[in-house]
Amino acid sequence: MCPLMSSLEIFVLWRKRRFLTTLTLSALILAILFFTHLSLGYSVMNPLNVLLSGITQLITGSLGIEGYRVLRALTAVVVGATLALSGYLMQLSTKNPLADPYILGVSSGALFAVSLTLSISGYVLHPLMIGVRTITAFLGGLIAYLATLFIASKAGMSPTSLVLAGVAVGTFFYSASLLPQYFISRDIHKLIAWSMGSFVSPSADALILMISALLLTMSYAFYVRHPLNNLQVSDDFVKQLGWDPARLRRYSTLLASLITSFTVAWFGVIGFVGLAAPHISRRVLKSSELVFVLPTSIILGSALLTASDLLSKVLVAGVEIPVNVIASMIGAPVLALAIVELRRYGY
Amino acid sequence: MVIEAVKLSVSYDNTQVIKEVSFTLAEGVVAVVGPNGAGKTTLLKAISGLVSYAGSLKIMNKDLRDFSAEERARLITYVPPLVDVMPDMSVGDLILSDPLVSKELLEEYIELFELSSLLKRRLSKVSSGELSRALLAKGLSKNSKIVALDEPLSHIDLRFQLILLKHLRVLSKGGKLILVASNQLNPLLSYVDRVVALKKGEVVFTGDVASFLRSSTPERIYGVKFEVVFKDGYVDIIPRELA
Ligand SMILES: Nc1ncnc2c1ncn2[C@@H]1O[C@H](COP(=O)(O)OP(=O)(O)O)[C@@H](O)[C@H]1O
Ligand SMILES: [Mg+2]
Repeated sequence: MCPLMSSLEIFVLWRKRRFLTTLTLSALILAILFFTHLSLGYSVMNPLNVLLSGITQLITGSLGIEGYRVLRALTAVVVGATLALSGYLMQLSTKNPLADPYILGVSSGALFAVSLTLSISGYVLHPLMIGVRTITAFLGGLIAYLATLFIASKAGMSPTSLVLAGVAVGTFFYSASLLPQYFISRDIHKLIAWSMGSFVSPSADALILMISALLLTMSYAFYVRHPLNNLQVSDDFVKQLGWDPARLRRYSTLLASLITSFTVAWFGVIGFVGLAAPHISRRVLKSSELVFVLPTSIILGSALLTASDLLSKVLVAGVEIPVNVIASMIGAPVLALAIVELRRYGY
Repeated sequence: MVIEAVKLSVSYDNTQVIKEVSFTLAEGVVAVVGPNGAGKTTLLKAISGLVSYAGSLKIMNKDLRDFSAEERARLITYVPPLVDVMPDMSVGDLILSDPLVSKELLEEYIELFELSSLLKRRLSKVSSGELSRALLAKGLSKNSKIVALDEPLSHIDLRFQLILLKHLRVLSKGGKLILVASNQLNPLLSYVDRVVALKKGEVVFTGDVASFLRSSTPERIYGVKFEVVFKDGYVDIIPRELA
């Protein structure tokens, strides 16, 4: 390379180029998946036509097949981005590359809370319930997360003890969430499908709320990017930037639980995207810098979930496979790889 | 005085680990010595504003508590011995993660600590000495008036020990106060102006190197008999037997 550049300048340039290449490629992949998603379904349609008439339908409010397809594809994109961001924030605040909203039990906590509310209220999937569902999902998710953190802290807070604590809490809440479903007579199929993750009933309201929450959380993460970068190293470094590491963790935890719970309230439990997207991003970027990892993770999370939903609707003609089934089959091997790698580095 | 501590105490979970110590320090390189658990790290962290303390701590005649977090961050830098990081952070990521560092200084320290070829390397794949050099580069590039180095000699090899200690002397001539917590009396004490000796949370000695070595303090705090050789402005401290 240019001999007039210092090794630091060369490194900075290398890191930035790697980021831009990765970002461009992942955006391209996402775009291809998105248009394929629009095009495929019960019938194959021209994706551009679907997009244009779909957007028109969404604006005018008279939803046809195109509007439905656009809404569903956008939902997969936004939920994927949300889960990736949530997982990334959890990884930073626990200093643990294995953290993910599903693995740490947050999604199952939210699922249980919603399931319980629905069974108590007696009427299922009513529009008025949306607000209640969101709030209870958030509370359930947060309680589960705090329970996981509490158990893990008693077990020394190592990456694996956090995962094991999450498995204990998650399994408890997931099983507990199945109980109330048997007390509900109506719409039991819908409910079970929802609990396993499904974008079959996308909603424009949900989408707008999730995009707002996503943007808010992204802005927060960028605003605190320096302390968050240092949280991966040591609390002392965070303090030396003039930030309180405990408060930083608290806000990151709250936001991560909040945005995860939104996705669970409407679309059920979807695992491993939050683990896989940041993990692959860091690996491909060869960097842990938030400014690079965050946008890459968000796009990869979107791509992962768009691909999963695409498979869930086309794999078996006329049948919707729960999206969590596909997402987990893609994401769980990444967890396995991550565990093996961690051991190799002596964690 | 750059630092003035009066009845400074630090407690962890109701146990006092720094016990009402009082001392003053001017510009220069100061060795903070004492056996394991004496409180060296805790003292450095208190001065850097990283742990809460009782008593009074004045930095440049101003109470440490009256500084804003940002002012304090610029004025004082604490450099830890080693850190556990998340995998995938590279040496370059680490040294660029502090927005307060100067890029020019960072380039100088990359040269000084020979980090050029390590920048892309993941921290999970560097040796402890290499990580220690990266931490020193990151910390020193902040150009703070007060620098607290915690066990900086423990992982780096002899060559880098000399590079570091000679460089610290240059920095102190430029008006910095540099605290070096370490038990590597060799070669540390040949390159420092003063010694602060700690034992069980108490400051048992402050003064120059010669008076420290001629006193009974080294034997008392370490429980080891030393032979000391003064030669051409250097000191050689040879541990002989258990006291
Ligand atoms: N976070 C902590 N909580 C409780 N006790 C601690 C903590 N850190 C250090 N200590 C104790 O405080 C004492 C002083 O520790 P430290 O300052 O690290 O000693 P040194 O650096 O001189 O080896 C030791 O007895 C140590 O066990
Ligand atoms: Mg120490």
